[in-house]
Formats: sequence, C-alpha cells, structure tokens
Amino acid sequence: MCKRLQGVAVLNEEPEPSVLTDLQRFGHTPLVPDCLIPAPFHDDDCAMHLQTIRDRLLAAQREGAWGYTPGNSVAVEPTCWAALALQTQGGESARVEQALDWLARRQQDDGSLPVVPDAESPCWVTGLAVMAWCLAGDGRFAAAVSRAADWLIGTRGKLLPYNPAVFGHDTSLTGWSWVEGTHSWVEPTAYAVLALRSAGQGEHPRVREGVRLLLDRAMPGGGWNYGNTRVFHNTLRPFPGPSGVALTALADEPGDARIEAGIEYLRTQLPAVRSPMSLAWGLIGLTAHDTRPTDADSWLEESAERSLRRPPCALHDALLLFASLQTCPLRRRAVETVHG
Amino acid sequence: MADLVQTTVLPSEGRKLSRRELLGMGGALLLGGGIATGLRWASQRETLRAEVFIGKAAHYRSDLVSIIREGLSTLGITRDEVRGKRILLKPNLVETAHGESHINTNPTVLVAAAEVFRSLDAADVFVAEGQGHRRDSWLVLDESGMGRAIDEAKLSFVDLNHDDIVRVPNAGSWTQLKELFLPRAVTEADWVVSLPKLKTHHWAGVTCAMKNMFGVMPSIIYGWPKNALHYQGIPESILDINATVKPALTIVDAIVGMEGDGPIMGTPKPLGAVVMGRNFPAVDATCVRMMNLNPFGIPYLAQASNHLGPIREENITQRGEPIAALRTSFEILDAPHLRAVAGR
Repeated sequence: MCKRLQGVAVLNEEPEPSVLTDLQRFGHTPLVPDCLIPAPFHDDDCAMHLQTIRDRLLAAQREGAWGYTPGNSVAVEPTCWAALALQTQGGESARVEQALDWLARRQQDDGSLPVVPDAESPCWVTGLAVMAWCLAGDGRFAAAVSRAADWLIGTRGKLLPYNPAVFGHDTSLTGWSWVEGTHSWVEPTAYAVLALRSAGQGEHPRVREGVRLLLDRAMPGGGWNYGNTRVFHNTLRPFPGPSGVALTALADEPGDARIEAGIEYLRTQLPAVRSPMSLAWGLIGLTAHDTRPTDADSWLEESAERSLRRPPCALHDALLLFASLQTCPLRRRAVETVHG
Repeated sequence: MADLVQTTVLPSEGRKLSRRELLGMGGALLLGGGIATGLRWASQRETLRAEVFIGKAAHYRSDLVSIIREGLSTLGITRDEVRGKRILLKPNLVETAHGESHINTNPTVLVAAAEVFRSLDAADVFVAEGQGHRRDSWLVLDESGMGRAIDEAKLSFVDLNHDDIVRVPNAGSWTQLKELFLPRAVTEADWVVSLPKLKTHHWAGVTCAMKNMFGVMPSIIYGWPKNALHYQGIPESILDINATVKPALTIVDAIVGMEGDGPIMGTPKPLGAVVMGRNFPAVDATCVRMMNLNPFGIPYLAQASNHLGPIREENITQRGEPIAALRTSFEILDAPHLRAVAGR
C-alpha cells in the first residue's frame, strides 16, 4: 500500500536546476500521504462494483487519455479525473504517466488547456490539469504547473453592474468563468481555487477573492447551484454536485455558517442520490470537511452497480473512484501534512 | 425548414423597441447583441406561410399516441418520409424539484412520440438533452421520471453536454459567432424533433420550440449556464441555433404549462393541448397566442418573422382545434423588458 504512488512520483531522479526552482515554489511531492489511501478494492468484497468500474476505466484509455464515453474523442476533463482517481488507487503508474504526459502535450503557449483538443478555447479545464499534475508530485510537470497557474491568475471572470433587483449575488466579485470573457460561476471558480492551492498559491489575492465569491454564491437555505442565488424575486434551488464542488474548495477555510449549511444540505440530500456525478461530488465535499457519512461506501457501491448497467462514462467512473477515498487529497491540510 | 432559412437580416418596418425597454433591469448580461439595438416589429410584408396542428389533450392520460399520429398526418408527414430516419427527440429537461413536474417535458409525451416514430419505421429513435443549469443529466433523469420512462421504452439517451463536438458554420447571422459547436449526435441525426414544455421565460418572454433548441448546445463549450451564448444575446442565439440546426419538427407539451416566473420558478398552468408543426416560428407564435400573449413582443419571434418562418396569424394555417377554443391567459413576470410580451 505504501508503494502506490512511487510509479508516478519520480522524485528519485535528479531534476534540472531550472526545474528545481519550480519544485521549491510549488513544493512538489505527492499530495496523498500513504496513510490516507484506502485499501485497494480487490481486497474488499464489498467494493466489487467499484473494482469493475476501475477495470472499465482502465480499459477505456486510448492514446494515453480518455473520452467522456469510450466511443468519443479523448478530452481533457475525463483525462484529468481519470489521472486523479488512478493516482489515489495506486498500481497503475504507467497509465497515469501516459495521461499526465498527454495533458502536458495539450497545454497551449499561454499555459492553458482547451476543453477539447481541436479548439483553442474554452479552457476551464486548466485547473483540473494542475490538480492532476500536482497530485503526482512529478517534477517533470513543474514548469507546466507554473505556466498554467500563471494563466489562471491572469484569467478573470467578467464583472456585471451590481443590481440587487435582478441578481442575488455580488456581481462585483471576480472569480473564474467557464468561457473566457464571460461571468464567473461556481464550478470553474472552485476548480481554480483548488488548482492554485495545489500549486502553492493558496494565499494569492485571486484565490482569496475566489473563496469570497463561493461563499457569496451559497444559497440562503444551504448548498450551491451553478452560481445564481436569486433572479428577480425567486430564490433558486441548490444542487448536490455544485455543492460538493464548492465545499471541497472551501475545505480548511475558517468556520462559516454558509459552509455549515452546505454540509447540512448535502447530508440531507445524498441519501437519496445515486447518480455518479452528484453522489461523488457530494461525498468528496463532505469528506473534505471530515463529515463523510457512514453509509458513503455502500451508496458508492449502489451507484457503481447502476452505472455498470448504463453506457460507460469515464468522467463518472473516475469521480466514483475518487470519491471512494476516505479523505480528500485536494484539501489544504493534506498538502500541509506532506510538506510539514 | 432548411429551405426557409435566410441568412441575412432584411430591413423591416414598424415601431422600434427602445434598448431600455428591451434590456430592462440587468438584462445586459443576457441580451448583448444586435437585436438589443435593432429590434423591430415583425415585417408587415411577411410572405412565408406554414401549417400548425393543435390537438386537444386534457391530461397526460389522454391518448397521446393517437393525437401525435393525427398531427403528423395532418401536417402531411407520411411513413415514407419517416422510414429509415434517425430521430433525435429533444425534450426540455431543466431542473427538478419535488412536486414541480411542470418544469420539464412530461415523459408521457416523449414516449408517445417515440412510439409513433417507431411505428412509422424510423431506423432509430433516441433521446438527447444538454441541460443548461444542472450538469448531472442522470440525476435530472432520475428525479424527473424521464429516466425510468426512457428505460421502459428501451430508448437510449445522449448527454449533449458531453458528446463529441463538431464545428459547423453559423447559418444565421444574428450573433457575432462565425461558427457553432454542435454535439455529434445532433449533426448525425436525420431529424431533430423539439419536444418543449410551454412556459413563460423571465428573459426571453416565452420558451417553446425555438428556445428549447438552446439545450442542444454543449455546455463543455458554452458553460453552465450557457453563458457564452447569453453574452451573444439570448434572442440572437436562439435564432442562430435554429437557423443552423434546422430542426425538422416540434411537438409541444402544452398540456400543463408554466406561467409567472418561468422557466423554472413559475406555477403550473393547464392548457390541455399538444401543438405540432414543421415551422418553429409559426408553432411558437401559435402557442403564444394560446397563452393570450403577444408574439410580436417577443424579440426572437419578431426577428424570425419572414426569415425563419411566419408569425402573423393570417400566414399560419391552423389545423385541428382552433386557438380560441383553448386560449388561456398566462401571467408573465412584471418586468420592463417583458411588457411588450404581455401587450402592456
């Protein structure tokens, strides 16, 4: 179990001096301490369906990468999540390295990665690639991480005039958008916050403002949706998926009633949720706040069992695997555990 | 519909809506393009014509298969025309909330449409959607009941937000976009059939056949919500999407619609109808009249007039039930940019 990440962490090799600067800057070592990694699935009969999900995910890799579905072209987002998930499971270092290399080849001159290879934008997946590279702790990607982080810091969601008669959120807060040149929303802002934190930029003013934006977009009754709290007269509804994403990005932030309400929202909703994306993100978010439900593993198994009866989706499979971790390797405390 | 599409905006006559009137409070986020400064009333010289069928369906237990079959027959759609085609059924799936089934297209309408197309020897009938608010399609399918209906009907589902992407030239010219990114499933379907829910919409005025096509645009490219299109202008985007995708047919779930703060926060409004047609502006204009609202006050319909289809009543041949027999007044949000829709 303690050897899981050795295949992807090539720290035994002597880095180039120029890379060392970036390694020091970003503190590149694997972000998942061995003590945090769960027992492998094949050791646990109760995780039978998740083991099959893992096998299915591995079988879907093509050209080093993954498409959203096996018949589709490879894309950055499912590749990032597959790399993240497989790193936490261990034992597939060669596959993970292929994926990380593939991502590096997708990086554009300005440091960004486009969502699909044959388009230059949008590039909201850039933060996911940073997380995948950082989790590996592989010095070969230090320069890529640095360039991607610079791109993220230089990319701003578009502001809108504050008009409380129309929108419930503070439109003057700058976060990150799905598409360059448009307004900021919850999910891309959370990805950027997590990525920059992984890259050692957690105290950057852009990250701090991103955190404020996420808190501002919390629904009054708890939870998050895509990023609108109220339009005209009506308060909108929260969803489990974005709630989990936001909570993950807000892990280790000072106590806040909005965070507590978000946790409570997910604890209430998740028992009835079995769709992979929402369940996985909800559990990742709760786990990041040390409030993982005791039934989480059985819910994941049910979701995996259902997923196996539907057409495969690499993004879903990877998220289910990632959510099976008993702790969240994306939170700041996990990083600090490693870096001392 | 393809033969009706013109890609240049022709001069039109009539009263010009002010930018302030259209944008209202904060609508600049959503209405960013040319229509906002150049909207005019629909052309007085509209020359296009189209047929629309209205079927009476008091509730979802009505014989929807027979109604849809009658509609197709009335519109001249034969087995020979459908045979061998791959039919993409595009419902309106947005959000779910307990007891709020009027947000989404009712599954019974979709299943009935699938049954009819299969009976007409379609090669394949499948369901596809790309929600603008909720990224997790499976959860929406689960909670709306659509997933169970699709499974029981042995239909497949394509998540358009995460499908392969195909670049195509923008066949309209209302937005600044030179090309659109479409899901492969949309480009490979022989017929895209819009199955909207008839609702008021707090930005666009009304959402029906044309606005429902927003949901084919992949959110990995345009975002959740599809904010990149909002910046191009909602009406402009609706027009370009329809001009480019060229959907073949619409079957509107107007059995129970939504009034007030649609498309998600409004209240149920029974109308008791299934409305069908090949020409989307004509169908939408008819539905708007059934809601006792003003089609000329809806920017995308006013612009569609004489370019994508007719919206003037005298240019739409009404089949089935008359509008007057089912007309029901829908409340609409009291906002400056919607006053022309309500005829205020």
